[in-house]
Amino acid sequence: MRKFKIPIVAVLVAAMIVLPGCSSKRAGVVVYASEDQVFSEPILRDFERDTGIPVKPVFDTEEAKSTGVMNRLLAEKNNPQADVYWANEPIRAEVLKQENVAAAYQSPGAEGIPAHFKDPQGYWTGFSARARVLLVNNSVAEKPKSITAYSDPAFSGKTVIANPLFGTTTTEIAALFILWGDEKAKTFLSDMKRNHVKISTSNGESADFVASGESALSLVDSDDGANRIKQGKPVEIIYPDQGDNESGCFIVPNAVVLIKDGPHPEAAKRLIDYLLSAETERKLAASDAAQIPLHEGVETPAIVRKIENIKTMQADYAAVARKMREIEPLLKQWAGL
Amino acid sequence: MALIVLDCVSKAYSGQTALHDFSLTVEPGQRVAILGPSGCGKTTVLRLLAGFIAPDAGTISIDGQVVAKNGKILQQPEQRHIGMVFQDLALWPHLTVAGNLEFGLKAQGISKSERIQRINGILQLVEMDTYLRTRPAQLSGGQQQRVALARALVLRPKALLMDEPLSNLDEELNQHLRGELLRLHAQLGFTLLYVTHDRAEAVEIGTCVVRMRQGSIERIVSTEELKSR
Amino acid sequence: MNTRRVTLCAALLVLLILGVAPIALMFARSLSVNGAFSLESYQHLLATGRSWQLLSNSLGLAMITAVICTLVGLPLGLLFAKTDLPLRRVFVLLFTLPLVIPPYIMAVSWSDTLAPHGLASSFFGPATTQKLSGLLFGSPGCVLVLASTFMPAVMLATMTFTRTINPRLEEAARLSARALRVLGGITIPLIWPGVLLAATLVFLLALGEFGVPTFLRYQVFAVESFTQFTASYNFGAATAAAVPLALLTFLLLGIEWFALREKIQPLRPASESDSNYHVSLRSYRVPLFALVSILCAIVVLTPVLSLLLQGGSTQSYLRAFRVVSDSLMRSIFLAAIGATALTALGFFTGYLIHTRGLSIWRAVDAGTVLLFALPGTVIGMGLITLWNRPATNFIYATPLIIVFGYLAQYTALTGRVTVAGLTLVPASMEEAAATVGANWMRRLGLIVLPLVKHALVAGWLIAYIFCLRDTGIAMLVYPPGYDTLPVRIFTLMANGAPSLIAAACMLMIAATVLPLLGVAALVRTQRRRRLWR
Repeated sequence: MRKFKIPIVAVLVAAMIVLPGCSSKRAGVVVYASEDQVFSEPILRDFERDTGIPVKPVFDTEEAKSTGVMNRLLAEKNNPQADVYWANEPIRAEVLKQENVAAAYQSPGAEGIPAHFKDPQGYWTGFSARARVLLVNNSVAEKPKSITAYSDPAFSGKTVIANPLFGTTTTEIAALFILWGDEKAKTFLSDMKRNHVKISTSNGESADFVASGESALSLVDSDDGANRIKQGKPVEIIYPDQGDNESGCFIVPNAVVLIKDGPHPEAAKRLIDYLLSAETERKLAASDAAQIPLHEGVETPAIVRKIENIKTMQADYAAVARKMREIEPLLKQWAGL
Repeated sequence: MALIVLDCVSKAYSGQTALHDFSLTVEPGQRVAILGPSGCGKTTVLRLLAGFIAPDAGTISIDGQVVAKNGKILQQPEQRHIGMVFQDLALWPHLTVAGNLEFGLKAQGISKSERIQRINGILQLVEMDTYLRTRPAQLSGGQQQRVALARALVLRPKALLMDEPLSNLDEELNQHLRGELLRLHAQLGFTLLYVTHDRAEAVEIGTCVVRMRQGSIERIVSTEELKSR
Repeated sequence: MNTRRVTLCAALLVLLILGVAPIALMFARSLSVNGAFSLESYQHLLATGRSWQLLSNSLGLAMITAVICTLVGLPLGLLFAKTDLPLRRVFVLLFTLPLVIPPYIMAVSWSDTLAPHGLASSFFGPATTQKLSGLLFGSPGCVLVLASTFMPAVMLATMTFTRTINPRLEEAARLSARALRVLGGITIPLIWPGVLLAATLVFLLALGEFGVPTFLRYQVFAVESFTQFTASYNFGAATAAAVPLALLTFLLLGIEWFALREKIQPLRPASESDSNYHVSLRSYRVPLFALVSILCAIVVLTPVLSLLLQGGSTQSYLRAFRVVSDSLMRSIFLAAIGATALTALGFFTGYLIHTRGLSIWRAVDAGTVLLFALPGTVIGMGLITLWNRPATNFIYATPLIIVFGYLAQYTALTGRVTVAGLTLVPASMEEAAATVGANWMRRLGLIVLPLVKHALVAGWLIAYIFCLRDTGIAMLVYPPGYDTLPVRIFTLMANGAPSLIAAACMLMIAATVLPLLGVAALVRTQRRRRLWR
């Protein structure tokens, strides 16, 4: 018996390592989430509690620097491990559609969500959004009303924007290229440079610059602004370009995607339905995520403006996704990288 | 005046007695062979004299000066002008033959011209003058021996301590180097303390033999007396 | 059948499958665009100024880190190993602490320290703290964090090699020279090749470091490898970005083999009656003690204290434990398994290298070091490419994939420790056993293994530390719902409460340090028992 001690221990250990993974194939739902874990995990735990379906999540790392989860989804394309992808913006969802990783699913939860926040064939559906807003320090007497404030000489050297190669900043710039056309967009970028815009590493850092008074204004996500206001910083959120003939505010919804050939399709659909519900949107609006429900009439705290009260930019996210890849070299050059 | 005096010196390591009440006087120019089996304390005597360890009790004097007493080292090794050839020779592998000899001379503040003179002189004496730029690893056992000897003698020490320096060599080389050592002693006249476990070696090298056993001196005999037996 | 040869080949096969195959696949992919052979990824790499800038950043950071670690670690090692500086053992423990902490946790800690209401602000005021904070995010901060983390490697190498050089060599010098000259003329030259090896290791670690430059927003090649997907999801480009690191590793290996290996003095087991002498510092004692204390306070105590304070009250720590305990347990479990597997594989690869058991021993040595130097993200991508298939789901969809990643990345560590241990065992030991009729397996198990057991324990501990703090591999391949604590901390950094992150970091430190203290206590107890016998 003694001489079998080591092999027996080795087999037991191997079983302890392998078995947890084997069980995941049998039940539950696997979700890869780019939405910050602190916001997404409570929703997923609620789903577990409400439905009894175990959730096995993979969370993304710090937003500006990685798309680890996207890497995995694309790398695992031929043998998908995930059932659902919870993106924190629709461009990644579009990429998954374009890379044939997504499957079409028209969720009943998608009813009531405006059409331009959904893929027409149902490959992804938007929910709980952030708006791209101007965060302005209270010391600014005449508050800007448009993103063109970046080229306004009155704000020369006093503006900041997050690194245009990552995240929602890239998405918005690509949307502007589509909305305005290449020439006007390029001119805007040049004007920003001429107006001595500072480049920060993230929306959060931009918000901190404005909060400290080092900068007068910045384009940030609405949750960054909401958090600074909650912290009592002397700042104000302005939803830009709300006038009649103006383009409206760029909206960045979360997006949920059904993964093609995922191991648990039925459970996946139940999770998607849950995520797209008004109740989930209410929870995300009430949390520190401060996200804007896309269903109308959802209860939100005062600091979160309702979608029906925002003039939104009518962006074609599929076109934006394509444009982003196209303008990447230009943005690298613009950012000096 | 005696050059070296050990007066009632005792030393223990981790409770084990290495030397007990050891007393010895060495006159200038004398060749003293310390003979005894392994573990009898021979090496301890040399290490006490060199200044690497302090006696637990007793006094050690060199050239009329007390250098260690009752657990304290009063004079550091580099101040005692004692030369030593270790059992494993301890030639510095990263230095050439010249570098090995020069290290101590530089440390003592000897001028460059004199360093060159002394190094060349002593290496000629030990017949290693063509190996200035050679590293120890490239030398044979006998050659390394001679370099170790030269390194100790180049500093013109008051006394030379040798800790079983020939024990790793074959009989023929051993004999040859014993002869070399005696020749050098005749030429330079240094005081020698030579530790060995080999009776024949002790009788040939020393003018007197100190027999040790279990940390104490069993007896001191002149080599004439030993040869006559 | 030659059992020795078969066993060594089996170990080599394991290394090939776990380590080389994933990388080879990634390399093959980097040479293909849309199914056809293409060097586009490499052309793009070389053509853009950005690539050269990143390479320059990587090299610069690694070089400066290695130099600072040597300039600080060597004197500290000598002070602690060869002088009568008070509280030497305490200092050694304290200075070694950053080495066992994942580097990015130190980065987080420094960020907290220099935050507007952090520890530094209490001493230096908000304005100075803000200036210092500005320096932290960038290359100065990366150098500070990496140098304080890796300096102990050089310090410990100095102490190890100092203690095991032949004391006669120093004694021979002491007969004519003072302590400082002996140190400078004899001790340091003798240990220098060993210290340089440690510096080379530091260089490689700094070169492949991912977490710290990411957090401190400094663009280097290891980060580039990870962020290549942000715009273009380009596996080929990500692998191409890792190739310069591989080439640098080969270059370093070449220098190590030709310039250093032969010059390193063989380690001599330190014996109690034969210890190296200690230098009395005399009037320098107090000022040197003060200097070392200040350095320790700045480099070690400040960030650790900051984390401890940021973690909050006991309640806060308990809450954090409740939140991350599952990840913590998984991390400890996987690290222990990983360390055990690494010790086993490292033993055989080390044996192969030391005894030159196969003609390709140099390739094995080079291969393990190369895998160690590559960013964990490249290895992670390779693992996905190789193992994510329905037939191998029992590997890929389980924590076993993480263990595979550990084996691929860290075998060099345990292999090299084994080589160091085997160097102390004369070949005659095995030969003597052979002459009395023991076969190879018996000689290995009953003669060699017991003689190198201390090296194996040391190797296990080192492997445990590296597995526990691994982020790059785990982040890419952890099975859903099976995140490790370093990954959890990284994900929490996005909008997680600072106190929760700090408390989780402290739990990570405890998980790393406590087993080491346990082993140290066990070793001390065993030594005392041996003395009493």
